[in-house]
Amino acid sequence: MPTNKLITLAEAVRRYTWDGMQYASGAALPVGSDAIVFGRELLRQQRRDLHAIFHANTQQLNLLAAAGAVTQAECGFSGLEGFGFANGLRRAIEQGRLVLEDFSNLAMALRLLGGALNWPFIPATVNIGSDLQYRRAFEPDVHPNPNKIPSVTDPFSGKRIGAFSPLRPDLAAIHVTLADPEGDAIMLGTEWSRFELSRAAKRVVLLADAIVHTDCMRQYPNLVRIPGIIVEAVVYWPFTAWPQASPGMYDVDEAHMKAMNQALGSEHGTATYVRDYVDSYVDLDGYLDLIGRGKIAELSNGATAFLLDPYRRWLLSHAEALALTAAASA
Amino acid sequence: MTIDYSRQEMMAIATGREIRDGELAIFGVGLSMLAGYFAQAHHAPRVRAMTEGGVYGATPVGGLPWGIECNRLAVNAVSFTSALDALGCLVASGRCDVGIIGAAQVDRFGNVNTTGIWDGKIGASYRPPKTRLTGAGGANDIACGAKRYLIMVSHEPKRFVDRVSYVTSPGYLDGGDAREQAGLIGGGPTAIITTLGILRPDPQTHEFQLDAYFTFSGVDEILANTGWDLKVAADARVVPEPSPEELAALRRVDETGMLRR
Repeated sequence: MPTNKLITLAEAVRRYTWDGMQYASGAALPVGSDAIVFGRELLRQQRRDLHAIFHANTQQLNLLAAAGAVTQAECGFSGLEGFGFANGLRRAIEQGRLVLEDFSNLAMALRLLGGALNWPFIPATVNIGSDLQYRRAFEPDVHPNPNKIPSVTDPFSGKRIGAFSPLRPDLAAIHVTLADPEGDAIMLGTEWSRFELSRAAKRVVLLADAIVHTDCMRQYPNLVRIPGIIVEAVVYWPFTAWPQASPGMYDVDEAHMKAMNQALGSEHGTATYVRDYVDSYVDLDGYLDLIGRGKIAELSNGATAFLLDPYRRWLLSHAEALALTAAASA
Repeated sequence: MTIDYSRQEMMAIATGREIRDGELAIFGVGLSMLAGYFAQAHHAPRVRAMTEGGVYGATPVGGLPWGIECNRLAVNAVSFTSALDALGCLVASGRCDVGIIGAAQVDRFGNVNTTGIWDGKIGASYRPPKTRLTGAGGANDIACGAKRYLIMVSHEPKRFVDRVSYVTSPGYLDGGDAREQAGLIGGGPTAIITTLGILRPDPQTHEFQLDAYFTFSGVDEILANTGWDLKVAADARVVPEPSPEELAALRRVDETGMLRR
């Protein structure tokens, strides 16, 4: 009998998160895949003082930072790609409410790989020689800082390199395109660092745009880069990454990306955004109504929709996925 | 014949001319991507281009992509892998021939700051910037590992400073052989291409000097917009204007006209 790991979003946040935890998310750069609804639910349940591990900033970190839920963060890229600066994150940093430790995008992937392999450190040939190495926001009074990326000697060549510390976040909330009820998952688009993250985190919760029958995974086992045996729970939530993109599923919502980022640029705008787009919906259907059914149709029928074609025959319907979620909670 | 084009278009074309056919190249999201894909559309059809998420084979459709996963780029990829693969196996490894990065500030040794703007120097104790920028992203990895890279930046005094307040992506650090001393694998920046001209490093000191200017700019305007005592190469010359073919190719890539704003 296969295990059904489907639970509600509210239950996932209740069960696997706490104030002050190291929380990892942010799946694929600021415009792509990310478990943004998990961040919305963290705010709904008023989680505080989070230490965020985001490979790259996303609208999720932008929102959590703007709303004051994150006090420490580590990430590579901290902007919003084509949408400019992340107004909520930059405001929190400039005001000193959030301390951001800077690394590069490769450094974050390597640190997650180090956590996944339980290595004591990872050799660093990037970030060395720059202020990413010498300036440590978490230990501001020591300069040049020898504790962030310490200089070490390559035991073979005798050359100077650096050492990255590994990351082992308490929880990773990972957005995937397709998951089966046991937590086997397929990601369309770049994996970014979700493979490494899923192995580095102490616990993994998946947020899936769609639920598929396990036969789909048996058909494409090479594409299943996150197997169910390392997954605690699966949340069925279409448009998890909205307003960002999920290749094959939906394109970026340009208007909402801009409006959201503009709102997060001020205290007042953030409060309004949280009222209208975080606290306002009761359940999944309410969330989808909030995006707007017309907008959903428009974003879904885009140029990458063909990427989903090979998997369509195994997709569970909305009602079936909701029924499985209800069955697991019963 | 006079052709109308913007300074940003000239910058993108001058950058693209640095890319050679067949090279393994990495382009970040933004205007630098337009320069890279212009090269592919014009004179480097076999350039092996990638983005830092491990999106291979994709060329922008419908204008400048918002990000590496939006439909404008994801629509025609032949392989999606990961950051570890693209930035690690193919760039930090030393394998990538050329990268293009942007800058908020750049200094006389080609060091780039995209982390923040402070009022004055940071000082001994780290403090939050007055204006927080976008951080390192993959640019530091390109700057550390690529065989060579190009810096594309708008030429303004506030951006061209004697010493950047924060080195996000290393150029030649303090000049001379400081890059090798620091243990960096890649060769460093070979050109800073701006809205006014092209700067290249002295082979020994690695200090950037003025190598070329555009027909619409000139030495005096460039010196006035550079925050250090910029040396002018003895053979400084004018850069050829974009050809009609070049402009047509660039505008096919820059479908939404980002470089004409």
